[in-house]
Amino acid sequence: MDKKRNQLYRTQIDQALATPKLQQALHQFGDTYLLARENAFAGLDFEALRTDISDMKDKVRDNLEHYLDEFCRNAEAAGATLYHAASAQQANDYIAQLAVTKGAKLVVKSKSMASEETHLNDALEKAGTRVLETDLGEWIIQLAGQRPSHMVMPAIHMFKEEIAELFGKETGQEEPAEIEHLVEVARQQLRQSYLDADIGITGANIAVAETGGIALVTNEGNARLTSTLPATHVVLVGIEKLVPTLEDAAKIVQVLPKNATGQLLTSYVTWIRGAVPSGDGTKDLHIVLLDNGRRTLAASPNCKAALNCIRCGACANVCPVYQTVGGHVFGHIYIGAIGIILTAFYHGLEHAAELVRACIGCRACVTVCPSKIDLESIILSLREQVGDAEGIGAGKALVFRKVMRNRKLFHSLIRAASLLQKPVTRGERTIRHLPLFFSSLTEWRTLPTVAEKPLRDLFDNLPQQVEQPRYKVALYGGCANDFIYPELGIDLVTVMNRLDIQVSYPKEQNCCGIPALYSGDKETAVEMAKQNIDALLKDDPDFVLTTCPTCTIALQRDFVEHLHDNPAWVDKARRLAAITVDAASFIVNQLQAADRFEGLPGPERVTYHDACHLKRGVGVWQEPRELIRATGAELVEMEHADRCCGFGGSYSFTSHPDISKNILNDKLKDIENSGADCVAMDCPGCLMQIRGGLEKQEKKTRAVHTIELLAERLKTKS
Amino acid sequence: MAESNLDLFIRVAEKASASVLQDCDTVFAATYISEHLTGTLLLPHSPSLQRLGIQDTLAQAGVNLVTGDVRQQAAAAGGGLTGANFGIADTGTIVLESTDEATRLASTLPEQHFVLLDPGKILVDGIAAVAPLRALHQRDARNFIAYITGPSRTADIERVLTIGVHGPKQLHILLLPGISDDPLEN
Repeated sequence: MDKKRNQLYRTQIDQALATPKLQQALHQFGDTYLLARENAFAGLDFEALRTDISDMKDKVRDNLEHYLDEFCRNAEAAGATLYHAASAQQANDYIAQLAVTKGAKLVVKSKSMASEETHLNDALEKAGTRVLETDLGEWIIQLAGQRPSHMVMPAIHMFKEEIAELFGKETGQEEPAEIEHLVEVARQQLRQSYLDADIGITGANIAVAETGGIALVTNEGNARLTSTLPATHVVLVGIEKLVPTLEDAAKIVQVLPKNATGQLLTSYVTWIRGAVPSGDGTKDLHIVLLDNGRRTLAASPNCKAALNCIRCGACANVCPVYQTVGGHVFGHIYIGAIGIILTAFYHGLEHAAELVRACIGCRACVTVCPSKIDLESIILSLREQVGDAEGIGAGKALVFRKVMRNRKLFHSLIRAASLLQKPVTRGERTIRHLPLFFSSLTEWRTLPTVAEKPLRDLFDNLPQQVEQPRYKVALYGGCANDFIYPELGIDLVTVMNRLDIQVSYPKEQNCCGIPALYSGDKETAVEMAKQNIDALLKDDPDFVLTTCPTCTIALQRDFVEHLHDNPAWVDKARRLAAITVDAASFIVNQLQAADRFEGLPGPERVTYHDACHLKRGVGVWQEPRELIRATGAELVEMEHADRCCGFGGSYSFTSHPDISKNILNDKLKDIENSGADCVAMDCPGCLMQIRGGLEKQEKKTRAVHTIELLAERLKTKS
Repeated sequence: MAESNLDLFIRVAEKASASVLQDCDTVFAATYISEHLTGTLLLPHSPSLQRLGIQDTLAQAGVNLVTGDVRQQAAAAGGGLTGANFGIADTGTIVLESTDEATRLASTLPEQHFVLLDPGKILVDGIAAVAPLRALHQRDARNFIAYITGPSRTADIERVLTIGVHGPKQLHILLLPGISDDPLEN
């Protein structure tokens, strides 16, 4: 890990966190965006649409040269000049040279992320050509000397007062900070430039192989002017924008504005093919096809799906980290989740190294991606690459490689910790204040102690009276359930026994390996997978139950992925995946026993927090709610129920506790506003975070695992 | 009963801040334009408009027309009048084949854009629009085809929707039955 770079990044985070106005704006935008998006997609099947786009983009990516040839043939036949730029430098040189050859004094541009990627403006200015951005947001940041903080709304981080000041400098008079007025100022200021400019530069949202034409999807009308008035039109377009046919293009046009801003369609979609009439002759049209890392990305087995991106920016809109620190911190040139990946390939892994660790892994982006890109998994695989290239930090490496892989050593160290913590716990189950340099960790949440006796030591003494067990079930506790919250495991046994299920606890189970994997140490994760597969399949259970959704994902998905090309292990991994199920789904779907909790003592107002990995990883959110309702409790939904709580495992301890704290505070506000007496969830990590936050703020609302809630009700009844 | 393409088109176009006038005839259209227009009117060539003889009707209504060198006079014009190839109902969009530069200038530079559209030429959605879009590409070797939905807009300052930034500030869609049944002409 590069310490200096890391420190610099932390400073940027601190600065962003000190700008609550920005956070507020981005939170508000996130809310209005989701609502607008939902309305825009009303009556349409988003899953079907995005599956279509994803399949089509897969096909293009895997046959890139074929479609590129077709596009070039058709574009050239229509009078366009094509240039293949292998790098940003080549693209810039070509366009700058063209400007010099034409003696161009002024270039007008419409918004193009590809030109931001290559730093085209700098290259043109160096060649002696003045460049004017005409998209309102781009013009604002050009005047401010900044870079975009959002791919669709580049100046989203700025406020009207700052903009009025910038515009005032341009017009030489004081401009009132009224939005309508400022928009008019931009119109008037830029108008003459379209007529004066020698060259117009645009990007392209789509390049259609069938026609050799491009499509521009825009709102302001500046791209239409930029591509109409100057005698020369340069299109700078990444080769990933190719689609085979007009039907494919129409599908992107259908989805892109809806997913970007919740608009049914942008004001303008402009289809341009070839050198169209211009003045007395025809337009000089140049199409620069940009590679700059795209072919490398297309060839990357773990990351290639990122090339399917259609640049809607939705991954940032819904991202809690983006909403907390903004796009200048959570991005390089491209921002948000997709930005992290594109940065690694287009600008170099070193520019993405801090960003891959700043992702909290909540998968909110994955659910809204119109190209169905599993952004989180790709970011994870990049984290691995950064880990391999730079190391994951000596401390983490020691813990993962030397300690966690050796279960007995790992577990005896946790036991030792339970003794060592005594001076700070004061005999309580939560730590309210940590001493010295650990103190910041308990400033904003209490932390649970390591239990005096882990679940594995308590388990054999639990009385389990089940006369005719319906199934043989093994509990996979995971670290939290075993060592932090053993009472949760005991509650699970209580609930299961009542449903005629006998539970066993295989003692050789170890950590699921996710902490190592998320820190970039895959080798340790694979070793842990093997240990757990052996331990859990040993007595051939009918089901393996989990109380932690991150463990569930590991058992259901990751183990199989780790071992898919290992013939000695893959079948066992698949077997374990097939019988692993989270406790709530097991009760509702397998046992169909939600009604067994009816008529229990209540009522209590309960709100439900969706754990990221349960809802968006495992796909479970209805079952726990069904159980809560079944107990007779009143279920009140909070706002943003499925927004991350900010835990993210080591994210909240070592990577980015400050971001974690901010995201937690958002969650605590939503819980409070729901008016509930109790917040239930199905994840020990969320429980640690939310319970810790509620306790620290001395709120009356209590936080419980759904299984605890069920056990509590059963105990009150009997 | 499901909403007709026409009703859907009108509802969605109005939601996108376009003004939509139904059941117009040539005289009404000319009067409407003369009442709303500020400044001169660019009138590029359009087969359907020519058949209508709208140029004379507009002149009679007192509209100051620019028909000759549109490029020279476009920047100073108040409005532009064009036909439309067809409409798209589910997004309230008009499609204008504007490879001819004058048509492009008339629909991009002035503050007002007036469009005459035959209500019989409204397709249900963007996917249905692909057939005529492809036919236009097959007919002409070079194309500049515009989907226009409402006036120009931006939300780049504090995400507040503001109408009329670089393109037209007003889009008036006048529906004239019987002016054209061919989506390949405007």
